[in-house]
Amino acid sequence: MSSHQTPAAGSQTCGSSEHTLHRRLFLQGSMAAGCASVASYAGLFSIPALAEQTRREGRKCILLWLCGAPSQFETWDPKPGTATGGPFSAIDTTLPGIHVSQLMPRCATIMDKLAVIRSMKTEPSEHFQAIDLMTRGEKPRPPFTRPLLGSVVAEQLGQLDSPVPQFVLLDPCPEGNEFKAFKAGNWAGWLGAEYGPVRAGGEYSIPDILRPETISETDHSDREALRRFFSRKYENEQRSEAAASYNAAFERVKGLMSCAPLFDLEQLPEADRQRYGPGAFAQHALQARHLIENGSTFVMVANGMPWDNHVFQHEMHQMLVPELDNVLYQLVTDLEERGLLDDTLVIAMGEFGRTPWLNEARGRDHYPKAWSMAMAGGGIRGGVVHGATDELGKDVSDDPVDNRSLFATIFTALGISPDESYDLPDLPTFFRVEGDATPLADLLV
Amino acid sequence: MMRILPAAIALLCIVGVAVDASLAADLPVGQIDRFIEQKWQQADVQPAEPISDSRFVRRLYLDLVGRIPTPQERETFLADQRPDKREHLVDLLLGSEDHVVHFADLFDTLLMGRGSDRDYCNRREHQWRSWLEQAFRENRPWDEVVQEILLARPASPDERGTVWFLYERENDHQKIAEAVAPAFFGIRIECAQCHDHMLAGEIEQRHYWGLVAFFNRSENAKTENGPRVKESAIGGFSEFAKLSGESTPNLLTFFGADVVDEPRPDADQKQEDLPELYVEAALKGEPQVPKFSRREQFVSHVANGHPLIARAFVNRMWAILLGRGIVHPFDEMDSTHEPSHPELLDWLAQDFRDSGHDIRRLIRMIVLSRHYALDSRRPEGIDDPALFAWSLERPLTAEQLARSMQVALHGSFRNDHPLFRQLRETLPDVLPETVGTGVDAALFLSNNPAVNTFIAESDEPSHLIPRIQQLDTPAEQVTALIVTLFGRPPADDEIERIAGFVATAEPGSQARSQRWQHVVWALLTSAEFRFNH
Repeated sequence: MSSHQTPAAGSQTCGSSEHTLHRRLFLQGSMAAGCASVASYAGLFSIPALAEQTRREGRKCILLWLCGAPSQFETWDPKPGTATGGPFSAIDTTLPGIHVSQLMPRCATIMDKLAVIRSMKTEPSEHFQAIDLMTRGEKPRPPFTRPLLGSVVAEQLGQLDSPVPQFVLLDPCPEGNEFKAFKAGNWAGWLGAEYGPVRAGGEYSIPDILRPETISETDHSDREALRRFFSRKYENEQRSEAAASYNAAFERVKGLMSCAPLFDLEQLPEADRQRYGPGAFAQHALQARHLIENGSTFVMVANGMPWDNHVFQHEMHQMLVPELDNVLYQLVTDLEERGLLDDTLVIAMGEFGRTPWLNEARGRDHYPKAWSMAMAGGGIRGGVVHGATDELGKDVSDDPVDNRSLFATIFTALGISPDESYDLPDLPTFFRVEGDATPLADLLV
Repeated sequence: MMRILPAAIALLCIVGVAVDASLAADLPVGQIDRFIEQKWQQADVQPAEPISDSRFVRRLYLDLVGRIPTPQERETFLADQRPDKREHLVDLLLGSEDHVVHFADLFDTLLMGRGSDRDYCNRREHQWRSWLEQAFRENRPWDEVVQEILLARPASPDERGTVWFLYERENDHQKIAEAVAPAFFGIRIECAQCHDHMLAGEIEQRHYWGLVAFFNRSENAKTENGPRVKESAIGGFSEFAKLSGESTPNLLTFFGADVVDEPRPDADQKQEDLPELYVEAALKGEPQVPKFSRREQFVSHVANGHPLIARAFVNRMWAILLGRGIVHPFDEMDSTHEPSHPELLDWLAQDFRDSGHDIRRLIRMIVLSRHYALDSRRPEGIDDPALFAWSLERPLTAEQLARSMQVALHGSFRNDHPLFRQLRETLPDVLPETVGTGVDAALFLSNNPAVNTFIAESDEPSHLIPRIQQLDTPAEQVTALIVTLFGRPPADDEIERIAGFVATAEPGSQARSQRWQHVVWALLTSAEFRFNH
């Protein structure tokens, strides 16, 4: 990787000098005050001009993407004392009669804010197909590629002329088996590359987001205008989609550079960083909150593919689940404290569940037949547990939910119609959610 | 290595044409044209117009030698009056050392994947890279190349690079299997690890574990001759579990081949690793060789004559030169991905086998066919790229870009320039599945020191930016610049735009030079330079 300064170290962190000035004053002011409240911190680290310009009434969404697929038994659907239940016990929650795994003590205290589906039932049992299914909502129907949930939400609810990226993927891990293959694919599908995510992560910042010191701001912008003149000319003369995508990427450079501070995790309050805990997943969840507060519409937080525990499932989950428990708890309570929860949907899910039985390596394998996921806020009713599995968790016993009803529910909660149709040349009509799936009424506010 | 271009041209002429010119005339290029044209007629489409020589020369240089032509190379071709000058250029380029290096770049990435600096360093140090180059330099039959890589048992010190395909995968036998299948057979088998392929049912779970078994007695070893992949005569028997929980033994088999017989010990029977199970290697210092070698079995019973090896190669070469495979994606040649031109694919694979897996013959046929030289502007009303009715734009690979930027600004290039490493990290794809550009690449090209420093330091008197400033008029200056970078004359509005931009700084001043640097940046990062079109 190239070395780059953190935005904090640069003298001009934002495109406009007015902003720089504003920010400096704010810093002085807060230091003089000595103890800034959480609320004023939020203002401090946002970019006032941008935030006002881009904040809209529309809903937003954070997807905690638990790639590799967590076990339902060690999270939302414990079966203690059964042959399949594993070594962990179940604990009481704020909902009478509802238990979660002992590995989730914090979420147990906010179950009244969460909606849990225990009856997910989907088809693909391989990561690549399942990741594709659960991030797009539908199996592939060639030759057109369905856009990711994040792309649809960014297109429907986002403000494309905003300099703040509307769809951000925070994923520090360039590897991750099938997730890596998935990440190399076509994200935005038929919506076009401009609805694809801005990817950040790793060092928590975006590489090359700062202007080189050797080039003045005017020159930087003049040469880009010249580039655009030539490149657009080529794009138009060639009717080139490849060039259109290429030019669209450059169009986003200036805006992104102006919001470099948003991607600098170092600037977030130390207390917040402590609360979310160490590790990329936790820190990125905090950054997701920060991005949503400052005008992003959809943030997907991933961390490679850590949940695929074919080996030593219990030991691995004993590390992973408590982290998820804390992160989800912090995120939901933070959003609520800031008055953002009603308009921000938080989704925590992977691509399927894990087998009730253990394999020879004491791992749980892939299991799409009966699994769990959780949501909160943003049009979703809290304190609901939808569906159930049988005694050993081998199958769904009540109200099976497939990818289509889940996506119909998510879209409806966000205020996006699931019935929208897309007519593409010479192809059968595509629907935003296929098969007339109806949203789960008990989950909607 | 510094290349002085005029000398290089003279050299290429001698080597290339004399040896190979006669071959081009005998090629059944018309056969490819007929298959493609037939499909146009069926679909009732009018293909794009043929391109001019001036566009052909850029496309061909990028495809065959991995860089744009210099203005002199371009002029030489345009001035050539021979009716078969395109054939001559193809032969000239195929016979050049630049072709060898470019194809080694491509196949290193396709077979090994992109890697870290250390990986690239190791690939050179352990002669994988030079062995690959030698294979293209000698135009070795592809099936032999494949078999040597899979056997990984060098018969002479010159062949020690053959071990690196397996060696770099560090005893991870699943990783080896998952690399062998797409690299040589054009299929992806990852999905079959846990069950038969969900969509392409012919790829079964037993094929995945069978392919693993052919390699699971192999182990990296450091010998006095260097890194080697030794092989045990025993072990490697395991069972794989189906989703239902039932266990199946991993027999020696692979997609499209019978099971290779091998006595299988009972579960409780312990095998002993006895000396009589091995023979000494022919070369001193090489690891001993098991009498029953699974790798050898794979080469002789599966790889040897396997129909997918030729099919996968011609399909991939088609994708390299035309932007898309006859089967797309090029490495998923299974029942869910039908070829767009089934008869053409059969014919190409057959011709490739009949010719003794002659790689250059295949390349020649493709680049001399009619549809290779079509305009890249998509005709109105046609939207199916699988018709090959217009030329598909392809982004330059990191290496093509690193070399072309140097050729543009310096008139020559070094293959060890830091740009290679820097661009490889950000623009990693050879044959990307989609041609979308991420904003990370745009940020890199805008702000990373790599490209900016390269332009700023291209300030020697022989370099382009200082040279054009010696020219008299803005029109001459801009013309020299656009011809060098884009291989075409500038339009009036382009001259105006650039001249207007540089005119705001005093002639001869430092600021003026910087203006030109900005212009060069704008052109090098514009789509016209970024794509092969």
